[in-house]
Amino acid sequence: MSTLMTVRPTKGYLMELKRRIGFIERGCEFLKLKRDHLAKELSASLEILRGRRRLLLQSLREAYSALTAAYLSIGPTEVRSQAMSVRKALEVEVLPRSVMGVRYPYVKILSKPEIGGELDITLSHAASKVLGVLEDIVRLAEFEARAERIADELGKTNRKVNALENIVIPAYRQIIRFIQDKLDDESLEELVKMKLVGGALARRRE
Amino acid sequence: MSPGLEYAVVRSHALISSLLTPDQMRNLALSETLDGFIRSLSETPYGVISIEAGGDPSIALEKIFYRKFIERMAGVVELAPGNIADFLRAYYYLRFEVLNLKRILRGKYSYMHPEQILESLIPIEPYLAGSFKALAEAESLERAVEMLRGTPYSKLMESMGLYRRLEAVWPLELALNHIYASTALRSLESLPHWDRVLVRWIVELETDVENLLAALKRRGLPPPAPLEELFPATFKIGLEELRMVMESKDLRSAISSLGPPYSEILSPIYEGDVALIRTRTRAHMYMAARRGRSLNDFGFNVIMAYLVFSEVEKSDLVGIAWGKAQKIPTEQILKYLVIPNI
Repeated sequence: MSTLMTVRPTKGYLMELKRRIGFIERGCEFLKLKRDHLAKELSASLEILRGRRRLLLQSLREAYSALTAAYLSIGPTEVRSQAMSVRKALEVEVLPRSVMGVRYPYVKILSKPEIGGELDITLSHAASKVLGVLEDIVRLAEFEARAERIADELGKTNRKVNALENIVIPAYRQIIRFIQDKLDDESLEELVKMKLVGGALARRRE
Repeated sequence: MSPGLEYAVVRSHALISSLLTPDQMRNLALSETLDGFIRSLSETPYGVISIEAGGDPSIALEKIFYRKFIERMAGVVELAPGNIADFLRAYYYLRFEVLNLKRILRGKYSYMHPEQILESLIPIEPYLAGSFKALAEAESLERAVEMLRGTPYSKLMESMGLYRRLEAVWPLELALNHIYASTALRSLESLPHWDRVLVRWIVELETDVENLLAALKRRGLPPPAPLEELFPATFKIGLEELRMVMESKDLRSAISSLGPPYSEILSPIYEGDVALIRTRTRAHMYMAARRGRSLNDFGFNVIMAYLVFSEVEKSDLVGIAWGKAQKIPTEQILKYLVIPNI
């Protein structure tokens, strides 16, 4: 009610408010569309994520088993010594990407370690599996970050839509109704005044 | 038989009985934890083992097992008559020295700190290479290889061209393998011909399996150098067989055409388990040593059998120690052990 006290009940203000509420309702519609798209995107991402995680766990198990076999076969010191001879490390660059205005990190693999020549076959076998898993982990992390950001944005959009639908728009409608009532009262008062004045003038003319 | 040999053979018989039995090894592998493994080990001829706090316990234990093996080998070398002692020294010290040289070269190649390189070495005194410390402290890999000039490793210089061209250390490692195999086989000349059979079989098997593993690794890839350069030492498995393994579309038929023992040793590759190939190689060496010993129970084969058994025991113990430190399931550890599966 306190907001209504400060409202200027003028026609100009009413028109301004009607323009504003039209804009807000259009914005709300867009936000609803965005929310639906984000929800669809998120549920699809979660499905993919579940599948990718299952595959990753399987590859991790295989890589770990190959690495264990290499350690058991040639001993820990030899594994360490050979691993040190791999010069080139995995180099990545994190770049921003965006889906429906949601920014998420994209990991670009710049260079991979060259494991072919330097390692013993058991270790090379394990290393290629670990490298494959490492790439999968990078892609999964990127996908998880994307899903997380989409979920965040979905939450934010949902809150915005709720706020607009339940608070902002009803508040504007109330103000508009209040101004319209005021203006109607005023015009009725004006009409009565006019009638009274008209009646008085007519009586005087008689 | 010389009196020296007789004594060494009798001692080797006695020493063989002090090695861990398959049951003892299995019990060690069945220990629940690393502490349990060390406790069980204290009830064997290894006695109480203490490892320094901090650092990786499996690495510390690996060093202890290597030391124990080198101690046993040095004990046998001391007992053996001149020609056999010379051969054993050449065979075992050279093998470990070659392994150390590979670690030094890898360390120099990857710019490791000399301290780190020295820590990764097998605890033996240099045999033919001069000083490990000086090599580890050399300013570059090229300088380290140059420092080997005038030693039997000077042939490494010939592989430097390939090293520079491919920017890879494996040509030098292959050259070291070749130097080891040819020197070990040359040193066999000092043994009577009937004593050479077992060692020749073992050295040839080791070299052939290493060549086959290198060929398997390069399957489907264009060879970076002529095969003669890639495989400087070949024995029962020649360059043609290696080419077939590298190029054949049907790996199974290529491997089975190699015949026993290679087809059996390499068969785990069908299931993608390359690590089991080395376990099988060790198992074949163990069995060959056992057969050699039973054929000549009072000759050099007994000494050789003792050393082969000791080395396999060391490898098995290193595997168990690492597996226990990493809490690897016992079945997986047992799969890669030789002695409990004999």
